[in-house]
Amino acid sequence: MSLAADLLRVFLNGLQTGAIYILVAIGLSIILGTLRFVNFAHGALYLIGAYAGLLITLEVNLSNGLLREWGFETIGLGWGFLPALIIVPLFVFVIGLAMERFVARPFYDRPDTDQILVTFGLAIIAQELFRVLFGGQSINFARPGWASGPVSLPIIGNFPKWRLYVIIITGILVAIVWLLVEYTDFGLIVRAGTRDPEMVELLGIKLTRPYIVMFGIGAALAGVAGVVGAPLENVNPNIGTGVLVPAFLVVVIGGVGSIRGAVVGGVLLGMVFSVLVGAPLPSIDILGTQITWSAWAQVGIYALAAVVLLVRPEGLFGEEVTG
Amino acid sequence: MARDSTSLSRRDVMKTAGAAGVAGIVGLAGCTQGGGGGGGGNGDGEYPSLGNYPIEGDKAMFGFNVPQSGPYSSEGEDELRAYELAVKHLNNGGGWVDDFSDLSGDGVLDYEIDYVKGDTATDADTARESASRMIERDGVVMFSGGSSSATAIAQQGLAQEKNVLFMACLTHSNDTTGKDCVRYSFREMFNAYMTGQALAPVVTTEYGDDLSFYQLYADYSWGQTQQASMKQFFEEAGWSEIDSVATPLGESDYSSYLSEAQSSGADALFLNHYGLDGGNSLKQAVEAGIDQEMEIVMPLYNRPMAQAAGGAIEGIYGTIAWDSQIDNAPSKKFTEVFGEEYNGRVPSGPAQLAYAQTLQYAAAVERAGTFYPPEVIRQLEDYSYSNIGMGEETMRKCDHQAQRDIPVVKGLPGSEQGDGQFFEIVEITPQSEVGYDCGSGPAAECELGEYGDE
Amino acid sequence: MSDEVQNPDANDGGDAPEGTAGYVERYRRRGTTANNELLVAVTAVVAVSIFPWLFADAPVISDVLGGYRGLATLMLIWAIFAIGFDLLLGYTGLLSFGHAAFWGGAAYAAGIFSAEVSSEPLLIVLAGTTFAVLFAWVLGFLSLRRGGIYFSILTLAFAQMLFYMASSPLAFLTNGENGFTSVEVGPLLGVIHLDELLVYPLDILYGEMLYVFVATFAVLALLTAYRVLNSPYGTVFRAIRENEQRAEFVGLNVWRYKLMSFVLSGAFAGVAGSLFTIHGQYVPLESLFWTESGEIVIMTVLGGVGSLFGPVLGVVVYLYVENVVSGFETIGPFWHLILGVVFVVVVAVFPRGIWGIIEDGYARVAGGETAADDGGER
Repeated sequence: MSLAADLLRVFLNGLQTGAIYILVAIGLSIILGTLRFVNFAHGALYLIGAYAGLLITLEVNLSNGLLREWGFETIGLGWGFLPALIIVPLFVFVIGLAMERFVARPFYDRPDTDQILVTFGLAIIAQELFRVLFGGQSINFARPGWASGPVSLPIIGNFPKWRLYVIIITGILVAIVWLLVEYTDFGLIVRAGTRDPEMVELLGIKLTRPYIVMFGIGAALAGVAGVVGAPLENVNPNIGTGVLVPAFLVVVIGGVGSIRGAVVGGVLLGMVFSVLVGAPLPSIDILGTQITWSAWAQVGIYALAAVVLLVRPEGLFGEEVTG
Repeated sequence: MARDSTSLSRRDVMKTAGAAGVAGIVGLAGCTQGGGGGGGGNGDGEYPSLGNYPIEGDKAMFGFNVPQSGPYSSEGEDELRAYELAVKHLNNGGGWVDDFSDLSGDGVLDYEIDYVKGDTATDADTARESASRMIERDGVVMFSGGSSSATAIAQQGLAQEKNVLFMACLTHSNDTTGKDCVRYSFREMFNAYMTGQALAPVVTTEYGDDLSFYQLYADYSWGQTQQASMKQFFEEAGWSEIDSVATPLGESDYSSYLSEAQSSGADALFLNHYGLDGGNSLKQAVEAGIDQEMEIVMPLYNRPMAQAAGGAIEGIYGTIAWDSQIDNAPSKKFTEVFGEEYNGRVPSGPAQLAYAQTLQYAAAVERAGTFYPPEVIRQLEDYSYSNIGMGEETMRKCDHQAQRDIPVVKGLPGSEQGDGQFFEIVEITPQSEVGYDCGSGPAAECELGEYGDE
Repeated sequence: MSDEVQNPDANDGGDAPEGTAGYVERYRRRGTTANNELLVAVTAVVAVSIFPWLFADAPVISDVLGGYRGLATLMLIWAIFAIGFDLLLGYTGLLSFGHAAFWGGAAYAAGIFSAEVSSEPLLIVLAGTTFAVLFAWVLGFLSLRRGGIYFSILTLAFAQMLFYMASSPLAFLTNGENGFTSVEVGPLLGVIHLDELLVYPLDILYGEMLYVFVATFAVLALLTAYRVLNSPYGTVFRAIRENEQRAEFVGLNVWRYKLMSFVLSGAFAGVAGSLFTIHGQYVPLESLFWTESGEIVIMTVLGGVGSLFGPVLGVVVYLYVENVVSGFETIGPFWHLILGVVFVVVVAVFPRGIWGIIEDGYARVAGGETAADDGGER
């Protein structure tokens, strides 16, 4: 295999790894930037998206859990993947609105720590609810036939089809949100509100509604991430918290409130991971211990965050923040 | 880890105090656990107290510590079914108890068997805390459980410390009977090293004897030993390793690793991942079309993993603990009694381990004529048996590793799966072809520690 | 060791003695504080003395409770962790989601130290705590570059980094996934075996020597926290929590005090983590995982932040539910869900936790003002 093929493969893998992070991080970042609300339950939206997607797409056999005890041996609609891709974002959008209304709003005036605590509690409740109902084990989210198997690409050869779709779907969604924020009046208000909410309100524009909608959109993106991300692995109650931490890193690296930052941050994380895993780096010997780079892949993304933070505390695309 | 053998546990001294005539005061102080029957049921008084010996009351307590929540909960439930069945048979007869010459089917040594359950959540910390509750509060004389080597290793360390026997259920790491081995634990399950030995002849016969292979392995002790063992035994059989790459434990996305493997030009890919990691990596390998270009080998299968991977396991070789299709009297009988008890359910490999390990302990107690742990251990050591469906076996004294046959299987296509059947048995590699001396392999690193009566 | 946690100045690396003397002088003048301190000490000693017996051996009560001594010891260990965590969360207002790094990091450091250097329990605790303090320094320095919510996220991220390091690249040190199994605990000061029973009748109360060892640290931790909170340092911590900007305007180096508070709580976590290693003679990899950080947050908040005894109460409730209630046939499987719901309710409605509820209830019964006599709020 040529070096070019290696590099291209590493690049595509990095892009794909980053894509899921980006989808989750955009919502986190926007909500943090506009509403100054930190949502530890954002991973739960990913989790809900994954389970909702699973149940719409397939009929699932249950082997334990409360639902099984109640007599459900199989559960799910079995409508296929495309309906899930449309219904889930709408569903999670509504959940996002409800979350804003009943969780976030009462906590806007409370200290930051209370926001974190209450959303952290909700994340636990969501996770445990799924565990109790579905029994905790991983459920196979099988991909539809048209999306499984490899696709042959120039130079690099076979590449998993679904991963390519993940990159494409993410690209489209990010573009839509980007256009919405950059080129509509709605987006203008949101952006202005991020910069200086008092000024916008003084101009007689109510910020509440655009903010709520942004909350919903951020939630819906996390839901979509659940639908497209879960077939890569399996669905179990822990995947929500599993994706939350890297998504936070993306926000930290990219800078709060910036869609561009989330995209760049996500791609960077994906690339660091992919390069450490797959790039043809020579292994080195330190004190007789063989250092393999792939073992450091998980650590690498955190190290990247640390470096960015030291050099640019506000993140790559963040506004200057004190403290 | 080694504790001073002269030191005593709280229960010991409570008992000693009782014997010395302070029983009244101890009773007054309300040490109900220590006081209990007031020395009523301590059948055999010939040994000093140790661990939870002697037993108070007329019931001997077992502890079953399995994953009841978390990713292995379905496997844990199956283990628990087998444990409960074992207790039922020990008390009332039935199943293998009728065939084990040592067992009466009327309790063990005049004691009725009772049990407590615990949840490990597949987490070493939780498992250990749950086990110490069983030992301290519930006074178990033996505990058992499994589904992960980390939890088994955590629990057997506690077993040694507290002088209470641990009968390991599913744990496949070399370390369990290698560098982390203890006197108070016994393993029926084979290990990573033996899996390599069992697979190499079968796989090389099937695919040819001069292929090249590429390995991915989970980067922790189990994955590393599994990888080393596969390399050793397949290279001995004439294959050559192109590369071997570590993946982080608990990784859910193997695409990067897999595409490296794919572009390596190797003929075969070994996925040294276990459990859900294995389900993920295998599924993703098939997704990426690797099964069309390379022969995939999955060293160790289990049921949750097969469920997670679905049809992706079709035609892929691996080893399992036990399977209901194994054609011999004990296996058939176990499948039958298990099915009768639980609505026609087909028992999994770990269920057979759980059942066998509980009965093995009980039989050893009967042979020893006492629950005194050092004597029970001596009965188990170098004990030979052929009554659990895995051929002629020996529980080796030097490392407490059972020497046994190993079933090599091939995954069934998705359409033929279900009802507890996921694999087709290809061959059962006999004991004579697997294993290692006490001075080599993992056993070379094993120091069992003390019996507790030295 | 206790010096280290008592006096944050000592952590500065500079010459501590002078500062220490001045500060000791200052709080000694506060006579009432000293009296209250005696009260706190007596209460704590009595509590840790009767608790294990009540919990594990008392007639009827222990059968109903279903407790056991090992859990009592574990509760005290976590209590030390929680007291330190509350210094940070309850008094300085910083919410860390990365304290598993200090707890688990100290546990590993203690374990490795015990296997490689010395098995003397006191030295093990010192080694683990030293590691935690140094690590808290680095992590605090990095995380405090951003305030508020970012702080929580960053501590979470860096602690996860340590988890991944221990799980794979550093597995040659930590034994990776299988957990560190080679812990060696020798006799205390070369003569007292920790797993030996105490002489009658002390054994009825305390059982093993290990409990006394842990309980001593727990009482010291409580008193240390009490002293810190009633020192000028404690006042500054509270000032920062109330209004960071105002504290800054008054001329306080807020950043430095925050770092001190962070390191201080890291030291408590370090003592607790080291004791955890001695107690279990095993270090699970999960001790570094972020759920461990989440647990200490839940315990502290559930019990009641900003009070001395609240977090301890939270620890007792949480560990009891986790280890005993979880075994009940009926509600056992739902223990985590139930705790989650209770936690959210507490955060939303009772910000002062269970301890706050008790205090309010007591105040209502007594008819007086809120009883803020725990050395915390005033």
